[in-house]
Amino acid sequence: MAAVAQEILIEYIKENQDKLYKIAYTYTKDKDLSLDVVQESITKALEHIGSLKHEEYVKTWFYRILINESIKSSRKNKKLEEYELLDNVATDKKYDEELIESIDIYKNIQKLNEKLKTVIILRFFENLKIEEIAYITKTNVSTVKSRLYKGMEELKKSLERSDCI
Amino acid sequence: MSIFEKAKMAYDSIEVPRELEDTVNRTILDSNVVQKRNAVKQNRVIKSNKVFKNATRTNRPLIVFRSFALALIATFALFVVLLNTNESFAKAMQDIPAIAGIAKVFTVREYKEENETDLIDVKVPAIQNTGNSDLENRINYEISSKINDVIEEARTRAEEYKNAVLATGGTMDDYIPTRINIDYKITYQDDNFISFVITKSESQASAYQEQYFYNIDIQNGKELNLKDVLGADYKQIVDESVEKQINERMESNSNNMYFTKEEGGFSGIENEYQDFYINENNKAVIVFQKYEVAPGYMGIQNFEIPNELII
Repeated sequence: MAAVAQEILIEYIKENQDKLYKIAYTYTKDKDLSLDVVQESITKALEHIGSLKHEEYVKTWFYRILINESIKSSRKNKKLEEYELLDNVATDKKYDEELIESIDIYKNIQKLNEKLKTVIILRFFENLKIEEIAYITKTNVSTVKSRLYKGMEELKKSLERSDCI
Repeated sequence: MSIFEKAKMAYDSIEVPRELEDTVNRTILDSNVVQKRNAVKQNRVIKSNKVFKNATRTNRPLIVFRSFALALIATFALFVVLLNTNESFAKAMQDIPAIAGIAKVFTVREYKEENETDLIDVKVPAIQNTGNSDLENRINYEISSKINDVIEEARTRAEEYKNAVLATGGTMDDYIPTRINIDYKITYQDDNFISFVITKSESQASAYQEQYFYNIDIQNGKELNLKDVLGADYKQIVDESVEKQINERMESNSNNMYFTKEEGGFSGIENEYQDFYINENNKAVIVFQKYEVAPGYMGIQNFEIPNELII
């Protein structure tokens, strides 16, 4: 079983590496830190894959590790409050009005607290089911729902605030 | 369009760095290597245990003799298993016929410990059969006290991390025990010189991998530094060679990245006590720890210096 799970995991990581990087980036806001998070998560996952009982959970299980590592790294490196996201966006898109608005919202999502941010990333960026998010965050369906709602409220508030300025 | 759909556009446009793919592949490769190594290590322990059991059964009547025989058999078993499993050790033995008889670096202590905070797996090496007991005592004492300190520090860190997890609302389920591993590798040995590397790794953070280097001149009873092996011009020799190799590596593969001088990258070694070991080609290999000269994903960096050693 362990060998099969390991293969599934490696294949999943290789195919979804861009995604993994983007998730880490949403927490760390830094290229090198995100690479470190991806690296650390892979190492940890491969080391502990033997303890995973059901191979159908490989994907959600890995999300859990990645998010824990991302949170750990962002707590350790709080300094990067202000940074230029545009620097990390492909050049041909830099002057797109719609994208500039999008970046504004995205930055405000990054500022949300860890719990709210996590459910928003998983639900809206990664299109996961509520049940899967509950598994990843070790909570239950109703907690996930209430965090999504609260996240939405806080995001709206912070967007209004930044509009005023 | 909801605000989240709007935000996803920015999320999707985050530029993924070129080196990601290389980092991912390398990490997967490294982890697999590590797992295989662990498997071999477990095998080795099981094998020597078997020898112990048999020995106990057959040597029952003569107690004194038994313990002597046990020690002999144990040494022999370890030796044989080392020869079979540790490629570089076996290679080193083959390549240097002069020492075919006597090995000088042994495992004197090996232990494993498992509790809810950490999983410890330690092999403590010691030098023996050098004919210089003062040297042996000094070096062996240094190694064993260093290893004790290192384990103590790692334990403290594991404990702190566990407390941090619990304090931030996590449970013991969220805490993965820290794996502390200490192992060593003989990189070179002949009648006059021994070179070996002790590696400590902690799983909670790969940044905590550390290496300690021992290059010993048996005849003169001292530890060698770079000046001893490369001569008075050691600094110029090393600086030029390392710089050249960094440039070559960056040119040969665009994923290879090193810090620039401004970013705190390589700007020449400080003195003759820079970390190095002697490899099987009888060349000095300069070692920089993770993050020292390159980003974390590049790992530990080794540079073989082509000059002949003057020892």
